[in-house]
Amino acid sequence: MLANKILIVDDEDIIVRLLSMSLRSDGYETVTANCGEQGLAVFKAEAPDIVVTDIKMPGMDGLELLKKIKDIDPEKEVIIVTGHGDIDSTITALQFGASDFINKPVRDEALAIALERAKAKIAIREKLKEYTENLEFKIAEATDEIRRKSNFQRLLIRSSNDAIVAFDHDWKVVVFNPGAANMFGEAVKDVRNKMSIDELYTPKIAKIFKNQAKEGKQQNTFPWRENIINTKDGRQIPVRYTSNVLHEKGEFVGTVNFFQDLTEIKRLEKELVQSERLAAVGQTVSGLAHYVKNILIGLKGGSYVVDVGIAKNDTEKFKAGWKTIKRNIKRVGDLTQDLLTYSKQREPEFESCSPNDIVNEVIELITDMARSNGVFVSKEFDTGIGEVMADPQTIHRSLLNLVNNAIDACIEDEDTSKKHEVKIRTYVDNNNYFGLEVKDNGCGMDEDIQKQLFNPMFSSKGGKGTGLGLLVTGKLIEEHKGVIETETSPGNGSTFTIKLPYEKVNTVDKN
Amino acid sequence: MSKKILVVDDDQDVRSFVVTVLEENQYIPLVAQDGVEGLEMIEKHKPDLVILDVLMPRGSGIRLYRKLKTDEELKKIPVIMFTGIALKSFLKSQKALDEFQGGEVPKPDVYLEKPIEPEDLVAAIKKKLG
Repeated sequence: MLANKILIVDDEDIIVRLLSMSLRSDGYETVTANCGEQGLAVFKAEAPDIVVTDIKMPGMDGLELLKKIKDIDPEKEVIIVTGHGDIDSTITALQFGASDFINKPVRDEALAIALERAKAKIAIREKLKEYTENLEFKIAEATDEIRRKSNFQRLLIRSSNDAIVAFDHDWKVVVFNPGAANMFGEAVKDVRNKMSIDELYTPKIAKIFKNQAKEGKQQNTFPWRENIINTKDGRQIPVRYTSNVLHEKGEFVGTVNFFQDLTEIKRLEKELVQSERLAAVGQTVSGLAHYVKNILIGLKGGSYVVDVGIAKNDTEKFKAGWKTIKRNIKRVGDLTQDLLTYSKQREPEFESCSPNDIVNEVIELITDMARSNGVFVSKEFDTGIGEVMADPQTIHRSLLNLVNNAIDACIEDEDTSKKHEVKIRTYVDNNNYFGLEVKDNGCGMDEDIQKQLFNPMFSSKGGKGTGLGLLVTGKLIEEHKGVIETETSPGNGSTFTIKLPYEKVNTVDKN
Repeated sequence: MSKKILVVDDDQDVRSFVVTVLEENQYIPLVAQDGVEGLEMIEKHKPDLVILDVLMPRGSGIRLYRKLKTDEELKKIPVIMFTGIALKSFLKSQKALDEFQGGEVPKPDVYLEKPIEPEDLVAAIKKKLG
């Protein structure tokens, strides 16, 4: 905008006219007044860009006019015309906000310079105003953009199926999305800005995130991990989670955690394992048919022998036949149990029990059979095991399977000169696990057999094995979070070791 | 005079059944529970007939059968194979051994698959021993 309209105020009419003429010839538009009061009225009516006023006037003087104009519009440029030596009022005028002054008599050049300066000032101010307006607009625009983005992010966080939880530097929850509300079973309003990390998470999980923050920038994020979280309503949810530590200018400002619910995935995994297992049972069927046929042969043979015993009143025959029948009934029972164990998902039933006692029970069951086949069974106990939390059924069945296999390995051994022996040893390792070791000096296994040991339908015992024994044992031990280790040497024997987590039961002090 | 018949089977139930059948029919039963013991018994007692299982620990029936059929003196003893293994599988393994060891072993005279009725077993024995 061009500053072009000038108001000239002077009580001397001749000066007003002269100045006006001179300025017009320079291209300005002028309006005039002969006193302060008139000057103010013209100023209000004409809104000039620049005011040039004499300082000494009757009535309202130049200073007074200056003040009034500045009251109306502090940004108006007012040039004061002063008499020679009138320093005091000049200073006062400048203090009141006059932009410049010129001395009387007014010379054209001095006025022109003062006007140019005033115009430059106005131009700068205009520019500044423009900049400021522009800046405001830009800030408004940026603010809008930020608001939009933040809304978008808020929506994103809110609509995420994953649980998103963020903490500030004091570990107070600042973000808790509906996904998190779902997962943790807490209402958003009860958590956000109210709970701390220790109130929301179990101590174990809270510690993981706190440690991560402590480790500083090296640990800004960590790879996805899996864990179980306990919800308020008592559910246990398997989750996959990760976490980011947030820094701003090197300062720790908070942490954000992401949790994914793995319930569905875990369920599918379980189904897959289950169906694989059922398929394996299917594959085992031909092997099983053979085994069942052997049982049938036993039952038929046994009943024939019993019939003969009855007909001849021969008690010995009768007893022998009956023994055969009973043995084969037991084989059916064992087979059924193996099949059920293998095909069903089963959780171990932990209770306080003594592994050494269980070993004794197993030895009692097989000693007769072993002896009649020329196999000597011995034991070596670590009495320090005491009572442990474990599933006695798992231990009993697994051990019985291994001991039966060990005796079979002795019977199969072609080297009849050996004194065949099965040794059962129990021990505790470093309080981490306890071991049940079954060692035989039977035929051992070659590499081929070793490879297939835990495969379904595999049996090294011809028609006498179901191919389920080690399969079932392996499954039982796995469900019990244990392992089975194998060592073997063809012709020299094998050692099978079951290792189970050791959780000692403290015997109650009765004193 | 009663004939001696050797039963070679690792299954105690089968031995007990066959022994009873033999006794009922006035034969003298002998028993062995694996191939190694079977050969010892044959050499010692010279039975009139051998009833032989196929799948056994320590010297399977397949091996003992070959031994009997390739021994000049023992090849005269009639053998009844008595097993849960199908004849096809048995012949297959014999054929593999023929190729491997050279020579040819005659097919078994009588091949009975378990389970069997006592009278069928007796009929097979009678046919062999006349």
